[in-house]
Amino acid sequence: MIQPFTPEPIRFVAEDGTPVQPLPERFTPALLRELHALMLRAREFDRKLITLLRQGRTTFYAQSSGMEATQVGLARSIRVGHDWVWPYYRDHTLGLAMGVPMAELLSQCLGTNSDPSRGRQMPHHFAAQAQNFVSISSSIASQVPPAAGNAMAQKYLGVDEITVCTFGDGATSEGDWHAGLNMAGAAKAPAMFVCENNQWAISTSIREQTASETIHIKAKAYGMPGYYVDGNDIVAVMEVCAQVAGQIRAGEGPALVECLTYRVGSHSNADADAEKHYRTREEVEEWLGRDPITRVEKLLEKLGHPVSAEERADLIAQTHREVDEQVLKAEATGQPDWRIIFEDVYADLPGHLRDQEAFLRAEQTAQAGQGGRA
Amino acid sequence: MTATQERHTDAAATRTINLIQAVTETIAEEMERDSRVVLFGEDVGARGGVFMATAGLQERFGPRRVFDTPLSEASIVGAAVGMAVRGLRPIAEIQFADYMGPGFDQIISQAAKIRYRSGGQFTAPLVIRTPSGGGVKGGHHHSQSPESYYTHTPGLKVVMPSTPYDAKGLLRSAVRGEDPVIFFEPKRLYRASKGEVPAHDYVVKFGEAAVRREGTDLSLIGYGGVMPDLEKAADALAAEGVSVEVIDLRSLVPWDKDRVLASVEKTGRAVLVSEAPRISNFMGEVAYVIQEQVFDSLLAPVGQVAGFDTPYPYVQDKVYLPGANRIVAACVRALNY
Repeated sequence: MIQPFTPEPIRFVAEDGTPVQPLPERFTPALLRELHALMLRAREFDRKLITLLRQGRTTFYAQSSGMEATQVGLARSIRVGHDWVWPYYRDHTLGLAMGVPMAELLSQCLGTNSDPSRGRQMPHHFAAQAQNFVSISSSIASQVPPAAGNAMAQKYLGVDEITVCTFGDGATSEGDWHAGLNMAGAAKAPAMFVCENNQWAISTSIREQTASETIHIKAKAYGMPGYYVDGNDIVAVMEVCAQVAGQIRAGEGPALVECLTYRVGSHSNADADAEKHYRTREEVEEWLGRDPITRVEKLLEKLGHPVSAEERADLIAQTHREVDEQVLKAEATGQPDWRIIFEDVYADLPGHLRDQEAFLRAEQTAQAGQGGRA
Repeated sequence: MTATQERHTDAAATRTINLIQAVTETIAEEMERDSRVVLFGEDVGARGGVFMATAGLQERFGPRRVFDTPLSEASIVGAAVGMAVRGLRPIAEIQFADYMGPGFDQIISQAAKIRYRSGGQFTAPLVIRTPSGGGVKGGHHHSQSPESYYTHTPGLKVVMPSTPYDAKGLLRSAVRGEDPVIFFEPKRLYRASKGEVPAHDYVVKFGEAAVRREGTDLSLIGYGGVMPDLEKAADALAAEGVSVEVIDLRSLVPWDKDRVLASVEKTGRAVLVSEAPRISNFMGEVAYVIQEQVFDSLLAPVGQVAGFDTPYPYVQDKVYLPGANRIVAACVRALNY
């Protein structure tokens, strides 16, 4: 059984791919290859999205490159479509690994008619009902108290679901974070709080963020176990999260898991040259040396099941093709029209919105009559 | 609905209760009706709430359905959002409207927006009940009227009853509706406002104002805790031969524009009353719509009686509130314009 509150991050695989403790049986070469493929797919999705940004086809993107092991590992340790997830804004890899269709993610980033969120949110803030993947909010940590409530409802309903709530290290400074963990702790709600500690909240380092040695020790204050995990070791993330999820499902109450990882890219396209402003190239290089995808490749090599250069190239090419195809398909659905402004504000359209909709309809009709000129 | 419609002739089927009893009864009835309804907040359980609005409910429905929470409005509102998203019908009590600040992010970022931002994939039908307004010697952290903050947030419905009948009917609508509702309870009317309620199940729809009395010379429009003062002012003016129409908005989002405009078209004069501070007061919106849509009917500028743009004072509690005298004075200005 995995122990909480370890002084060092729990890991199974060293950076050079050597297992540092026996791998749990289920981590067969076939599974490791599958996880590797998921991580590689997510990374290439990142690369393609940066291209789409440069082409002006989307306007915002927050890469998760470097954090694939944390998000894929988490996705593969829960029951997708059964458990509920309250994610944060850097979780598209989590979404992809949970089976949210790439077409939906791209549609959201492009704001097309095929976006289930109907083009209302800035790019990269998706929601997926089929996966119980609740809509991403930009306000930091504001998903944490609702996640506690979601878990409380699960307990009330007597279902064997759990709630997963993710956030970055910066979120742990917000009042909502403490409120949510305290609430879940007091209610013994089936919630797994997962800190994707990538060590930078835009330009603020974890050292400036908190005087706590680690994030996971804060769990003590809320009466729940805290687990410290090497977030770039997918075996460790998956094994710890799966065990913790099992404990929570068995009625042991909430837990906090800190996955120590690193975003090797910038916060978003808004600060594309992070190294110039707030962190050193050396630091980034150091973390590139701990890359989660390379680590699995090295592990597979040591296990005698290497991923060949050709296989790797095929996976990459396949992802690029998929993104290209889905982008064209999404764009072909067009942009949602003006009506989306008024729909879904309330269950039914109240009078004042009916008036405002009528005003906009008249304006749009008049413009269409002038050949679409404003 | 008019004053006449609300009078119930079948005496056997009606009872006279006060506003807080109406709240307690309605929560109980809704919990009886729907097992998804849960009630929680600070001290709502064994204590029954600081105003006793939830008295006896934990005893009746058990601590699983009626429970105390950590002292954290962010938690209470946020948890209500998560519960609602997962399929419950939470009624969250915030002990005083003044304390909603820590829950503000949860109200405006989560409760109000989740339907819109998810394209309807996730919704948060919840009710936040909270005592609001002055007149109970509470000082500024127990007497404020913050409703305008919430009327400014699309996605929320904002209501405030002033009678037991409306408290029951509006609260039923709130619990049974599909949208997040901020349900302000004018605390000074909790026991002061008494009235008949029918025994049968009924709802008061949001966006339907009540005409408390009909009149022809001036429309006096308010909601919540000021309503008894509107009635007193109308009585005083009636003694002078002025026929005042008194309208209780009952819900602010949505509000009953048609009823208000029809009344002002008839009377030609409007005085709007609210105890909230004046700047960005919700009644400013009502005044704007009146001048925009029935300007030609107006015989005088729209009058407004509001709280002052100061924190709510403790000692001068009664002076701060817009009482009947101040309302009468505003009406006289409109009548003599």
